[in-house]
Amino acid sequence: MAAITNFEDFAKRILKIVFWLLIILPMVILPLFYIFYVLPIEISCNFNVLNCSQKIDWSLALYMFDPTKMNPLDPTSYISQLGLGATSPLFKVSTFPGLTFAALLSSMVIWYERKLLAKMQYRVGPLYAGRIEGILQSFADLFKLLFKEIVIPAKADALFFISVPFALMAASGALLAVIPISPTNYIALSPYSLLIAIAILGFFPIITVLAGWASSNKFSFIGGIRALYQMISYEIPLIISVLSVVILAGGSLDLMGIVNAQSKIWFIIPALLAAIVFYLTAMAEVERIPFDIPEADSELVAGWLTEYTSMVFGVINLAIYIKLYALSSLFTLLFLGGWQGPAPIPALAWFLIKTLIVMTIFIIPRGFNPRVRLDQLIGLGWLWLIGLSFANVFIAVILRASGLL
Amino acid sequence: MSIPAEAGLYTQAVDDDKLTVSIGPQHPGAGHFRFTITVEGDTIVDAVPDPGYVHRGAEKQTEYRNYLQSIPMLERSSLTDVTNIIMPYSMAAEELMGIEIPPRAKYLRMIMSENQRILSHLYWMAIQGIFLGHSTSFMWPMGDREMFIDLGQILGGARVTYSFAIPGGVRNDLPEEFKGRAIKTFNHFERRLVDYERIFYNNPLFLKRTQGVGVLPRKEAISLGVVGQTLRASNVKSDVRIDEPYNFYKEMDFEVPSFDTCDTWARCMVHLIEMRQSMKIMRQCLDKMPSGPVRAKLSPQQRTIVGEAYTRIEAARGAMSFHIISDGSTKPYRVKISVPSMRNLIALPRLLIGSHVADMPAIYWSLDYWPVEADK
Amino acid sequence: MSAPPAKTELRQEEKAILEALSSKLGSRITVAYSKPNRIKIIVSPIDLIEVATCARDDLHFDQCANVTGTDFPKDKQIEVTYHLGSIEGAGLRRIILAIACRVPSATPELPSLIEVYPSVNYHEREQAEMLGLVFKGHPNLSRFLLPEDWNDIPPMLKAYRLPGRLEGE
Repeated sequence: MAAITNFEDFAKRILKIVFWLLIILPMVILPLFYIFYVLPIEISCNFNVLNCSQKIDWSLALYMFDPTKMNPLDPTSYISQLGLGATSPLFKVSTFPGLTFAALLSSMVIWYERKLLAKMQYRVGPLYAGRIEGILQSFADLFKLLFKEIVIPAKADALFFISVPFALMAASGALLAVIPISPTNYIALSPYSLLIAIAILGFFPIITVLAGWASSNKFSFIGGIRALYQMISYEIPLIISVLSVVILAGGSLDLMGIVNAQSKIWFIIPALLAAIVFYLTAMAEVERIPFDIPEADSELVAGWLTEYTSMVFGVINLAIYIKLYALSSLFTLLFLGGWQGPAPIPALAWFLIKTLIVMTIFIIPRGFNPRVRLDQLIGLGWLWLIGLSFANVFIAVILRASGLL
Repeated sequence: MSIPAEAGLYTQAVDDDKLTVSIGPQHPGAGHFRFTITVEGDTIVDAVPDPGYVHRGAEKQTEYRNYLQSIPMLERSSLTDVTNIIMPYSMAAEELMGIEIPPRAKYLRMIMSENQRILSHLYWMAIQGIFLGHSTSFMWPMGDREMFIDLGQILGGARVTYSFAIPGGVRNDLPEEFKGRAIKTFNHFERRLVDYERIFYNNPLFLKRTQGVGVLPRKEAISLGVVGQTLRASNVKSDVRIDEPYNFYKEMDFEVPSFDTCDTWARCMVHLIEMRQSMKIMRQCLDKMPSGPVRAKLSPQQRTIVGEAYTRIEAARGAMSFHIISDGSTKPYRVKISVPSMRNLIALPRLLIGSHVADMPAIYWSLDYWPVEADK
Repeated sequence: MSAPPAKTELRQEEKAILEALSSKLGSRITVAYSKPNRIKIIVSPIDLIEVATCARDDLHFDQCANVTGTDFPKDKQIEVTYHLGSIEGAGLRRIILAIACRVPSATPELPSLIEVYPSVNYHEREQAEMLGLVFKGHPNLSRFLLPEDWNDIPPMLKAYRLPGRLEGE
């Protein structure tokens, strides 16, 4: 630790302590706070905290894990009582339809992408991990990454360097929280869920630049700046294309309401231009080929991801694929009618089928396209996509005002 | 604190606007070659190539070996183009030894040379795909390359380095199954080339990345002395096979492509068209080949006349020439190799300065610079 | 052994070049040999730039394909040969004109042809570091192919023996 010789060093030390606290607080203190303070409240109000009229039982925190409280005739109610049941918020956030479900789906999508690309390139793809066609390849890669050493470069700013995967995972997870996957499966229901999703998408450029700058490596820095250019240029067309859908749905920003408004006709037909714009901007936000300039490995090794090794790299990659899943589900909800479909197949299955089809359409251009150059990419975003999305806004207004829709 | 000049240290002023990036020898985008670019924003303002990472002193080593012994060492310099790098060496050695090789050997040399040209161009196309971010354009040419490697294996005996064209002729005769296999390969690959053109070259993103990028006008191309595809894409129809025909190229019916757009796209198209023409030449060779011996009788310690010989051929990347000075013994006195990569290197700073950083891989690889060949 | 190659007669382009050379430059050059497609002339270092300019402008040899430096320790001289080719000259594409120039080994200095042919940049630099030549007028004669920590004599000189080889090999 360097000695403090003047006020500048003192201020830096105080700032470092504050930042470390800000990192430790959410990871350590908040879960403990949740378990010992919030959970008793929720349990004693039967998970309906806003309309709670009962007296709150604080002593539940001490006796929550007491097995004598279990009713032998109905053991599962004890699990719900602990706040771990299938309808509790903890389950929804962590397992289904939250983080674990999204992570498993993304791992499967990584395998699916590799197989699809291999077939397009006259290869075989993953074959040996797992009995059938290498289906456990993603998990094999995950285990391999766990055994590697986490290397933090000496000149890198360790604090910001390590905070990036956490920040990315948090942002991707927050994006998942507002997306309902069926009329009854959602984590959070809010009348502004679409707005929240778009707002969270604005976090990603900042985190990417942080990753590029904290690596203190010229190539990473250039990659981070390029990622910033790319993501910022494509946020405005994204928002305007979503605006067309909002207008067609009668002005509601609620994803549930938008899906229910598509019962007559799916919005991809009146809002085709907006769908195309959303598709292109989503590909740019997730840095897929042909928009993968920030990770151009023939020029910049791996761009802003260069210095990340082992599990840190695994977490960042997983966060990017979860974001891809979130954007695909947004596409399904906004344009393809969400979970609506003929009767015998349940709504949840319809949603998953449509999302998988959208993900396939995201993956396929990787097989036959080279990379777009940076200035061409920015020109595309600022000129063409904004124009197309505005055109669709006018079409939506006309359709709505004339009462056709 | 300023460093005095007598300390012998090399100092450089640091400018806040300019960033000096070293595309070093350990870089997925450079091969075994280092060049330093100075970047201001997104524009390259200076490019300094620095070859010599794989310099092995091949020219010095030829003075210690007789003519036959140097061949495996020399051919490994240009790994995708092995037959073409030792052909001028063998031709110069034959001129100094005062012998003429049988005609069947010349036809076999032509077949191997054109096969090598296709192999080199397919390798080039694969790496061009990687540099532009197009992984399918890497997989398909590499897969098709295996068919031509199999042809080379039937004729030469090894997959990559055959040591086929030795002084005196070629090492062995054509096996029986070569002709049938070759015709099948050509039929298949000519259909595939149509696919390549449609999928890889007619792609709007590819066209945007390569058209108008790295333009080398005709006058500058001639005065800078570039060769090969770089010269032909700058509107000069020059090819050693038609300028100074060797072997039996005078009797072959083929055309040499040239475009007048002088940009990277033209260089890519020249590579594609040359592959087609190579297959045409190989078909004609297989039909027209006379029978006879394939090798003139030479002893390994063959004496030469006193004098010098300068021979040149069209290798896959451009015009390659050997200058051999002999003092009458069994070992050459001086061997000087002039490789197309070194002759094209001078175009690299000229084309890079003023272009975007993102154009750098496309321009660099379209010049087809092979670092090991240039370093000898 | 097959018969030695025939065709020792020259064609009209070579004869025209020999005539033009002797008429324009006359006594300053010596013709070393003139074979089909190959002509070699020897000049002294003082006349080198003038002869090269004449070859480029009057004889239409607009490319320099190769620069070779050879050490002749018996004559205590180093010979530098420039091989010139032609693209724009009519019917001259198959001909290579070699201009040779001998400098003493003690003071191996000669003028650089970079003003006449920009393509000799890297070739001259390579021969300079391999043989110890000094090309006056060349903008940058720094290390090219040899490693940065090379501290021996220039390697292509005959006095340099490859390490690990026995004497007499």
